[in-house]
Amino acid sequence: MVKVLLKFSDKVTDQPITSQVIKEKGVTINILSAHVDQQGGEMLIEIPEDEAEGVIEAFRSKGVKVELRRLIEVNKEKCFDCGGCISLCPVNVITYDAEYSVVFDEEKCLGSTCALCIDACPVRAIELIT
Amino acid sequence: MPTSELRTIDEINEKIRKGEAVVVTAEEMIKIVESRGIKVAAKEIDVVTTGTLGAMCSSGAIINLGHSDPPIKINKAWINDVEVSHPGAAVDLYIGATQMSETKPFEYGGGHVIEDLIKGEEVELRATAYGTDCYPRTRLETLLTKNDLNQFYLLNFRNCYQRYECATNSRDEVIYTYMGKLLPHFGNATFSGAGELSPLTNDPNYETIGIGTRIFLGGSQGYVIGEGTQHNPRNQFGTIMVRGDGKKMSPEFIHGASFTNYGTTLYVGIGFPIPILNEGLAKKTSICDDDIFTEVVDYGVPRRDRPTLRKVSYKELKSGKIDINNKEVKVSSLSSLKGAKKIAKTLKSWIDDSKFFLTAPIERLPTDTVFKPMKLLSAMPFVESIIHPAMTCKEDEKVKSVAEKIIHHSINHVVVVNDEGKLKGIVTSWDITKAVAEGKKDLTDIITRRVFVTTPDEPVEVASRKLAQHNISALPVVNQEKKVVGIITAEDISKLFKR
Ligand code: SF4
Ligand code: SF4
Repeated sequence: MVKVLLKFSDKVTDQPITSQVIKEKGVTINILSAHVDQQGGEMLIEIPEDEAEGVIEAFRSKGVKVELRRLIEVNKEKCFDCGGCISLCPVNVITYDAEYSVVFDEEKCLGSTCALCIDACPVRAIELIT
Repeated sequence: MPTSELRTIDEINEKIRKGEAVVVTAEEMIKIVESRGIKVAAKEIDVVTTGTLGAMCSSGAIINLGHSDPPIKINKAWINDVEVSHPGAAVDLYIGATQMSETKPFEYGGGHVIEDLIKGEEVELRATAYGTDCYPRTRLETLLTKNDLNQFYLLNFRNCYQRYECATNSRDEVIYTYMGKLLPHFGNATFSGAGELSPLTNDPNYETIGIGTRIFLGGSQGYVIGEGTQHNPRNQFGTIMVRGDGKKMSPEFIHGASFTNYGTTLYVGIGFPIPILNEGLAKKTSICDDDIFTEVVDYGVPRRDRPTLRKVSYKELKSGKIDINNKEVKVSSLSSLKGAKKIAKTLKSWIDDSKFFLTAPIERLPTDTVFKPMKLLSAMPFVESIIHPAMTCKEDEKVKSVAEKIIHHSINHVVVVNDEGKLKGIVTSWDITKAVAEGKKDLTDIITRRVFVTTPDEPVEVASRKLAQHNISALPVVNQEKKVVGIITAEDISKLFKR
């Protein structure tokens, strides 16, 4: 599965773009999380690898910005393994390793559609990549 | 249960000098006692080391600047825009960890200034004064590093709580507290303290700790200078006051920190060496997380005495999940467990390398003091005292009939309830005006359904904060069954405080 972040501008949020793409391409899209406000919306989805190219194309042609990238950046210089962020994460991205170092499984992260841990870090070591 | 003395501090120091002392961390001690028993452990182990690295708000540093020419008697001063206080004569300043920057509040504060100084960074000092015949100067601006200071001592008046509560939140909104960010509906929980590694937990009767105990403090050697403020030994909430040389500390064990919407603080690394003077101490230092308990407390209730939900062991807390009301809740430590381990190990290596010697306290920490609540001159008013009946309506009413109620009773808020009297929403006179202008006839189109509420037993101060935070002018008052029992408005509150 490929994880992509869709960014909808306020001009397209009122259109049923996602269902149109699902219908056109006949694929299953796993919606991991979504967030909408006055400026527009963001949706994090998962698509099967071999369908990815076509689906991304379809979203782009409908005016949606599609991004494939890392969603957060953890500054390991700043992080002192306090563990304060761990309980905020809804999808178990953040855990201790055997030595009680705090480790991030960034693959699973929901990024800006979640962002719960960001302002919980007392030394601001976690940043959203925007 | 006084047991006979096995060794004295002097004897231990002699062994340290010769490189013969047997030192283990509190974690290692548990295993040794488990496999070989208390008697053998007590005989063989000389010192057990402990550690914790947590947020300790009642921390700060005293610095002395030296005199300028012409000299100044500082009245007000700021370092990197953080106000620092002037507790002494002319050029002594105290940097409080929780004091926030005037230009970057909530992001930078006294704790960060202390960390920057320890790192060797340059900080900007501004000061003003009224000027005297002997201290004529009235303004000062300069750049300083720790090397420019005569003294730079960490002087923390309450550190190292013996144990601390585990915090969670019953409210239906996120709250930001000194125990971190707490998600709604018991969405998570946080705790503090290193459990079996925690310094005071390993000597709970303060047999070896008191004025003059040499300790690990911020990566260097420091001292306990007495019991901390709010020391509460009868409930195992002991605390200590400490002093250590900031010039020798390491940024690995001192971190300035910001708790969102709460403020700034300082993470401090502390470790005690506990001399195994008798068998009793061997037993105490072998305490493990299964046997250390604290309470899960609802920080959603903003009162001094917050409701306790259950008792919990550190073993369970460190597992990452606890059970609250039959729901599995994720829990995270606010203090670094990795840091705590590192401190216990570092202290052990200092003793092994004959770099750290033990001291006997001149006076032990008190074991019988009580922690009193604040004396207030007037009782705090509760919502109960200003509540008045709410004008209510049902969801299926027409805009017109609600408009008539508003005009007839000259009020601004109508609370929408169901047949059982339970809260369904709120409508304001503004909503009605707007509906009329837009030609809307049904109340259901204009009801605000996400309503902030209060309860009769909530302090007025707390209700008032809700109004300000959400920029609203009234709060329906509900009882435990969510039935509407009245309403309070911003006007009621201002009247109360004007009295
Ligand atoms: S943003 Fe933070 S809390 Fe949200 S999924 Fe990513 S790591 Fe977890
Ligand atoms: S809260 Fe910040 S410092 Fe603490 S473990 Fe998470 S990223 Fe690291």
